[in-house]
Amino acid sequence: MNRAVAVARIQLTNKWIYLWIPLIILASSTLISLAIFAMIPGDASNIISGSGQAVMWYFFALGIQSMTLLFPFSQALSVSRRAFYIGTIGLFSLVALALAVLYWVLGLVEQATDGWGMKGAIFAIPWIAEGAWYTQILFYFAVTILLFLLGFWSSTIYKRWRTVGLTAALVGAGAVLLGIVALITWREAWASVGAWIVELTPLSLAGWVLATGALLALTSYATLRRAVP
Amino acid sequence: MTAGTANVIETRNLTRRYRDQLALDNVDLDIAGGRIYGLLGRNGAGKTTLMSILTAQGFESSGEVRVFGEHPFENDRVLRRLCFVRESQKYPDDFTAANAFASAGLLYPNWDAGFAASLAEEFSIPVKRRLKKLSRGQLSAVGVVLGLASRADITFFDEPYLGLDAVARQIFYDRLVEDFAEHPRTIMLSSHLIDEVALLLEHVIVIDSGRIVLNDDAENIRGSAVTITGTADVVEAFIAGYPVLHREALGSLVSATVEQRLDDAGRREAAELGLQLTPVSLQQLIVRKTLQADGAEKPSGTAATDSLEAFR
Repeated sequence: MNRAVAVARIQLTNKWIYLWIPLIILASSTLISLAIFAMIPGDASNIISGSGQAVMWYFFALGIQSMTLLFPFSQALSVSRRAFYIGTIGLFSLVALALAVLYWVLGLVEQATDGWGMKGAIFAIPWIAEGAWYTQILFYFAVTILLFLLGFWSSTIYKRWRTVGLTAALVGAGAVLLGIVALITWREAWASVGAWIVELTPLSLAGWVLATGALLALTSYATLRRAVP
Repeated sequence: MTAGTANVIETRNLTRRYRDQLALDNVDLDIAGGRIYGLLGRNGAGKTTLMSILTAQGFESSGEVRVFGEHPFENDRVLRRLCFVRESQKYPDDFTAANAFASAGLLYPNWDAGFAASLAEEFSIPVKRRLKKLSRGQLSAVGVVLGLASRADITFFDEPYLGLDAVARQIFYDRLVEDFAEHPRTIMLSSHLIDEVALLLEHVIVIDSGRIVLNDDAENIRGSAVTITGTADVVEAFIAGYPVLHREALGSLVSATVEQRLDDAGRREAAELGLQLTPVSLQQLIVRKTLQADGAEKPSGTAATDSLEAFR
């Protein structure tokens, strides 16, 4: 267990990866959004900016790098695959939680300042911000960790089966989605799918996102067990 | 094979098959430990594959592996006593050498930060610069520092000198020997610069096309072959019955390398016959043995049969 903790601490020996770069991305994307809000003429209300995603996509890239760079390095430090996995996913879960709390706090600031004085929305995205505080945090946490795990999962497959395997996995995932769409069409079930989507709450959506993340996390571990650096 | 024997590494019928080739072919190895071992062989002979499997970075296709009596896979008890920095080791993006050394300090129980710092200075590693900006030689030096300062019970060096200049290589060899004297452990050094490392090695394992072709104390190997030069018929008469590793003819002169330890009587006889005896360097011997194992070189006549017979 303490070797898993050591794996987490390794990633914190460089302050750029988990601290400065995410903060720079967050600050600069927010500033750009604010500048755009300021430039929009008139008295438009509720302009929603998607810039809050920027940091999450950085974590998607970090998910990839965890496998392609950190994993080989951890092998050189004689870390078992299990300790690498627990340390990396564990650290990342904490970072995702911290980011989710930060988004929630920034969302509160945003609402208190009437959208940064410009009626803009970056962190308090309408539908989600209507939920309870824990729903908002859970939602941001779930989305962040899903993106990280998507990167981690895909590069785990790449590490184990290289380009052929990754292509097959992505094509396979596409085929499964297509099959689901075909099934829904065949069963003429689009109306109930629509009803299901309408009935989704931020909390239940977060639950589905988390479940998908958990599935990726489990399959990543099974794949990682036999991956080579 | 029984667990808990004195050997630090044991393998039986260890085989690694890639799609179209055998990287390791039924390797049986017993390594007693506490010495500096040379794992020598050509590029692609299976050196890295073997070290990868011994450290559970890679996987065997079949056969048995025991390191400290246990299989190393997912075995923290064993893994924490091993160190294997690959020749093309990858590091996290934006990592500096200082970050890498700090990380090693978190995971290697015997890590010596002071030693790492002094080595980094000797190798002129810019420890605050990002690793992806370092030259090939500086990157190799980072791997060397990780290996030496980890003081792991078994430390593997995989072609550690790539890109290192002659001075840096000498620093590596000197520090390795000094530190080994103070902290005895098992060192396995893979190399194809055989003559350069020959003096460091106490035991030599030669691997070729996935097979162990030589596994002996360096002392035994050094005197185990001799090159005899003289007139063709005299040389041929003298070496009759000896296993011939190599034979070169230049006019009426023949120079034959035989895998035979000559005693004093033999040496005196050679001198009386006017034959010249030259010692065979470890590198020459290994090249000859490897070529012979490959069947790439086909000595002529009966000598070929002799040498192959002897080899078996």
